[in-house]
Amino acid sequence: MLSFLIKRLLGTAPVVLMVMIAVFAFVHLLPGDPARLVAGPEATAQDVAAVRASLGLDKPLPQQFVTYVSNTLQGDFGTSLRTRRPVVEEIGMRLMPTVWLTLFAMLWAVAIGLLIGVVSAVRRGRWQDYGGMILAVSGISFPPFWLGLLLINLFSVRLGWLPTGGYGTWQHFLMPSFTLGLGVAAVMARFTRSAFIEIAREDYVRTARAKGVPERRVIWHHSLRNALIPIITMVGLQFGFLLGGSIVIEAVFAWPGVGRLLVDSVSYRDYPVIQALVLMFSIQFILINLLVDVLYVLANPEIRYQ
Amino acid sequence: MSLKSLMISSALGAMLLAPGAAVARDLTVAIQNNLTGLDPTNVNDTLSQTSLRLIYQGLFGFDPEMNLVPLLAESYESNADATEFTITLREGVEFHDGTPFNAEAVKVNIDRLRNPDNNLSRRSLVSMVQEVEVVDDRTVKLILDAPFGAMIASLAHPGAMMISPAALEEYGNDIDRNPVGTGAFTFTNWSADTLEVARNDDYWKGPAEVDNIIIRSVPESGARMAMLQTGEAQFVPNFPPELLQVVQNNPDLTVETSPSIVEWYVALNNNKEPFGNKQVRQALNHAVDKDAFCQVVFSGLCTPADSIIPQGLAFHVTAGEYEYDLDRARELLAEAGYEDGFSAEIWANSNTESLRALQFLQQQLAQINVQLNVVPLEAGVAAQRIWSIESPEDAEVQMYYGGWSSSTGDADWGIRPLLLGENTPPSMFNVAYYANDELDAAINGAIGTADPDERAAYYETAQNLAWEGAPWIFLGVTDLVAAQSSDVTGVHMLPDRGFLLEDAAFTE
Repeated sequence: MLSFLIKRLLGTAPVVLMVMIAVFAFVHLLPGDPARLVAGPEATAQDVAAVRASLGLDKPLPQQFVTYVSNTLQGDFGTSLRTRRPVVEEIGMRLMPTVWLTLFAMLWAVAIGLLIGVVSAVRRGRWQDYGGMILAVSGISFPPFWLGLLLINLFSVRLGWLPTGGYGTWQHFLMPSFTLGLGVAAVMARFTRSAFIEIAREDYVRTARAKGVPERRVIWHHSLRNALIPIITMVGLQFGFLLGGSIVIEAVFAWPGVGRLLVDSVSYRDYPVIQALVLMFSIQFILINLLVDVLYVLANPEIRYQ
Repeated sequence: MSLKSLMISSALGAMLLAPGAAVARDLTVAIQNNLTGLDPTNVNDTLSQTSLRLIYQGLFGFDPEMNLVPLLAESYESNADATEFTITLREGVEFHDGTPFNAEAVKVNIDRLRNPDNNLSRRSLVSMVQEVEVVDDRTVKLILDAPFGAMIASLAHPGAMMISPAALEEYGNDIDRNPVGTGAFTFTNWSADTLEVARNDDYWKGPAEVDNIIIRSVPESGARMAMLQTGEAQFVPNFPPELLQVVQNNPDLTVETSPSIVEWYVALNNNKEPFGNKQVRQALNHAVDKDAFCQVVFSGLCTPADSIIPQGLAFHVTAGEYEYDLDRARELLAEAGYEDGFSAEIWANSNTESLRALQFLQQQLAQINVQLNVVPLEAGVAAQRIWSIESPEDAEVQMYYGGWSSSTGDADWGIRPLLLGENTPPSMFNVAYYANDELDAAINGAIGTADPDERAAYYETAQNLAWEGAPWIFLGVTDLVAAQSSDVTGVHMLPDRGFLLEDAAFTE
């Protein structure tokens, strides 16, 4: 297991390098002159030239790339072109809000999604199934910004129970995490249902039933355990996406997360921040995939890695 | 503890708990975008600049109507040809760190800003200053390398605000994160989307009423409105007009609208056919109904333009009116040899409001058989294709829809960067590529004097010439909308879309 982990981690190095090349090429191919954007709408040509020189953007591209790679390898991600703060600091103060929001959203998603999925599968073809799937389809189709604004209107403006937005106490988490989690819950419900129905056809489930194992145990022990593998994959995938920050949720609930940072950075052509964020998102995905592999073993001891 | 000291301490405790003592209250302001930095000499967006007015002050500044007022200066004098400005400073002012504000501090600040090696983005405000001379502790003299009549207005710009020399020494470039000024509030914290400042009890005008001011960025307009409704925020500048109805029906909230100094227009590239022809340009002006423009694009929160600069700018005069008259427009087009009309591309930044404007213009000009091809550009692309071109000959732009506000509050920055013949991109913003010798003479004449009457005469000539020459399709000047809790007073929007919060107070 340990050697497997080490091998997998080493295998990520070329991927990370590829990502770095792709990201650098991508941001520099974007049309638009960052110096002009940083200097602002009223800046004269003289001001723009000054800004360009101070940002090191007057150097040839290959030279900029070499500087970028060597600095990145030394853990130096540069300074934001827009705010002139270190990139690490810019991302650092927004990363945890996004991580916590993602965790809480996944809690909602797994709790609601699993429950609806299992109930729908077990009561397949009955009203619970149709009800559950109608909820799931609605959850996917509901535009999150609209749901967010509805929740704000109900719980903040009318009832006065929750703050409209911002990052702080547990109350601040409820609405954004629910809004974010609901869409994922819907996906989870549909996924759980189909995984479950497939498992129910397996021989060992029939055998368990035939030898008189109580139905509750058949569902939660024999079926769910085996259905967990595709569900874990799904959770991992969704988790990776959510860690990239939800632009819509972060905008509606004024959440200081990395999603908003990425949007702001792209519109300002803030190269160092875009590069660092995309690199971080890629590494997050790689790590989550690794974690998912480890969880497979925990869910099903029959899986072994050499 | 002796009995006496016990009595004193309980008396003090009672005083602290006594009812009726002023309740600690904070003012929260919800704005749309994130601030970009805290060094006033190196930020370019109105929101950052105006927020920094809480911490920093300039030698001159603006009142809520954007009239120029002395702040850290008491008065000034200039020589006849506007090359020397002698400024008398206010006495007894200190920066937040205790450093005295004096002529030496002014010299340090202006020398820092004008030094090209520092690469500060607001350098052009003082780049014409050749020498800053400390005459005595309270008097400073600016010697310019060429006449510049708008010098004092430039010093009123937030980019020329005064930073503590001791803090500059201590923090260097990190002054961006450790602002130290002379303003009514001291810096507390700046995080991802929130700036917090606390009352400066030693403020030279006397301490402010509110304890803290919190400026938070909330991108979604509906969420900003909800914050106002729940009392989480008390002031929302630049309130979205489409949500006005909701706020107007709420007795706890107040809406204020006032004219801005933001004028919207379509610049016509005079180097491209058929826009080199004055009759064509005038025809386009006659073909657009400006009242309808204000209604359609800005929900009526807008006034038709009557000059190249907005009514609220110093030295504005009413230059004329292009009546909405399609027959006249067709006649002019025919005289110019375009009786069958023509087609052209119109560019603008890509956002909902601009798109609405472009579609409106497309419909209007189609009436005189001028077919517009609408091209919205993302901000970065616009910067590249319009403003950062190599030379004027490379310009592809035919028509450009945009707005301008003169952040110095003066006619100079409202006219010179946009219409002086030599000020074409990439050096400045004459995207009409308009070149009119008479106009240039008037603009340069105004720069060459600091005498207000002479400047007024030059700017009147300039406005009349430019209006008649019609380098733009003149459209409208937008209104500002701000919403606030009814129990807050002393918060104002400035006509350049900034705001003044220093006098904020709660009435209950």
